[in-house]
Amino acid sequence: MSWILTITIALYSLGLLHSIIGFYRKRQIFVQLALGMVACGFVCHTLFLVLLGIERFHFPIGNLPESLCFFAWCISLTFMVANLRYRINVLGAFVLPLVSLLTIISQVIWEENHSIPPSLRSGWVYFHSSIAFLAYASFFLTFVSAILYLIQEKELKEKNFRFLYFRLPSLQVCAELLRRSLFVGFVGMSLTIVTGAFWAQQAWGRFWSWDPKETAALITWAIYLILVYYCLSSKWHGRRAAYISIVGFVSTLFTFCVNWGLHKNL
Amino acid sequence: MSNLVLVGLNHRTAKLDIRQQAAFGSEQLMEGLKRLSTFPKILESMIVSTCNRVEILSCVEQHSEGIDTVESFLSECSSIPLPQLQPNLYRYSDEQAVRHLFRVASSLDSMILGEPQILGQIKSCFNAASDMHTVGTYLNNLLQAAFRTAKRVRTETNIGEYPVSVSSAAVELVRKIFGDLQKTSILIVGAGKMGEAAIRHLADTGAQSIYVANRSPEAARELALKFRGTAVPFDELRQWISRSDIVITSTGAAETLIGMPLVQQVMHDRKHNPLVFIDISVPRNVDPEIGTIENVFCYDIDDLGAVVEANLHERVKAASAAEKIVDHEVQAFYTKLKSMDVGPVVQQVQGHIEEICKTEMQRYVRKIGPQEAKQVQELEHMISRIAAKIAHPLVVQLRNAQESPSESAYADLIKRIFKMKDSE
Repeated sequence: MSWILTITIALYSLGLLHSIIGFYRKRQIFVQLALGMVACGFVCHTLFLVLLGIERFHFPIGNLPESLCFFAWCISLTFMVANLRYRINVLGAFVLPLVSLLTIISQVIWEENHSIPPSLRSGWVYFHSSIAFLAYASFFLTFVSAILYLIQEKELKEKNFRFLYFRLPSLQVCAELLRRSLFVGFVGMSLTIVTGAFWAQQAWGRFWSWDPKETAALITWAIYLILVYYCLSSKWHGRRAAYISIVGFVSTLFTFCVNWGLHKNL
Repeated sequence: MSNLVLVGLNHRTAKLDIRQQAAFGSEQLMEGLKRLSTFPKILESMIVSTCNRVEILSCVEQHSEGIDTVESFLSECSSIPLPQLQPNLYRYSDEQAVRHLFRVASSLDSMILGEPQILGQIKSCFNAASDMHTVGTYLNNLLQAAFRTAKRVRTETNIGEYPVSVSSAAVELVRKIFGDLQKTSILIVGAGKMGEAAIRHLADTGAQSIYVANRSPEAARELALKFRGTAVPFDELRQWISRSDIVITSTGAAETLIGMPLVQQVMHDRKHNPLVFIDISVPRNVDPEIGTIENVFCYDIDDLGAVVEANLHERVKAASAAEKIVDHEVQAFYTKLKSMDVGPVVQQVQGHIEEICKTEMQRYVRKIGPQEAKQVQELEHMISRIAAKIAHPLVVQLRNAQESPSESAYADLIKRIFKMKDSE
């Protein structure tokens, strides 16, 4: 069945290649081809995850490769949604490298052994983790739009009418994408923390135990809370919001990687 | 195969007064085409006349003779003496002429590289020539190929994407900040003539509201009427700047109107939402220092010039891809022309039939023994007449097939009957 994953990787990589060519040569046709390939890749990816779930009889986030594969799926999903809403030609060139990389890593470290500890066999964990991954994927999009915003703002301020000025989207579009993905991510993150608490109550008997991952998640959530407040207070949030988005994403990465303490089985 | 010649002048070879004198107005164009069709040595022709070029494209029996005829025709029409006109002219024949036409149609030879009007101009000149029946199969095929080339260049390269006028560059620049301009408000400060084109361009993008401020209220009202905006009092400048997203200044004032403290206050008022200043007045009305404030973007006339230059540079880059398309299309045109040329096939058909008749005649002569020379000669005449009469309808059919593609099936059939290949 892993051949489906191989096809998925091939399609994502081709999509990435076409996105980069489209970005470099500024040709719409390559961007559209890339979108088509990623859409096909996404269908294969979904099929793979569904078949995997049926075969192993659990939601496919039981071990690291499965989780990475699922995380890639979440980013791919947010990418597709963002493309439906905004036509940002360059987005693929910035988002798809991570998608391709995650699927490739997941393929390389693939484990056929998939016993998962009974403490994790609960409805909560699936809900909790999948929402967490979706939130992380949204924050990744926030991060990418912040980077695009900062670069384009720099070009416009310094009056560099060159390569990037022509290719990057308008500041307004970057700011809009940042805002939308931030709100989605923030709702997801809040849900993650709440469901996590319920699950902790079930598994460990306590709602909150200041476990490292819990603490990191709370810090991340607090950073994004500031950003949400900042975005709600004015129509346009500019460079400062972009900086906070980047800090938030670094914190998100940290949260993602902290797997000791009570979360060491994940 | 026909001989193609192109004689003309453009903005590179001729000064404006010469171009003006040589240009054909729409009536003169008809007259000129009529006159061209009277020259026996010119088989087909069309005239391309725009403000930057006058070119005559003709199919002629012989190159040098054709070029001379066209040159004297041009001199006659423009009433510029030939010796004075000649240094301004360029002359191309066959492949060079085809390439030149394709480049012109694709706007690679235009004064402003990639400007889109030229294709439409050539199309209307071609239609005029079609109406006057001065174009035949050859020019028809050629022009269709030129239109196809131009279309490919437009869709397959970015050549037309970058605006190269100052006013459209300003719009493009503002779009890079606000994206869609429909939700933005524009404030125009000053009713100076200078920036009217830029203002018009921006105002035409469908901004939500347009305000006009001027020291003289009458002039403000007049301008507001022109752009369907609202005249606002000049003393309340600060208030109106904070309500706008784009401020265009174009006053004759010698001093700075909008400086650091004002903009800092304004930004506070508008909760730091982005604000763009486009200062097209010389000397500047806006202190360039304000560009350092967060979310304030300030551009003067030189910056707009830099955008235009950058855009032109991108067009030049796109042009090299376009040249490749032109090369490819020139080759394709000649390949097609070759396949359509029936000359060799006609010769082969005639030769083949004559061969059969001659062999049969020789056999007959051998059979009945020696004959008088006169009788043999008579026989030969008869045989070649028969051969010509059999070949005639076939040759006619082949020539028809060359003229109209719908009959090319006959040509294929004839070629197949006589077992000939296209390449022969």
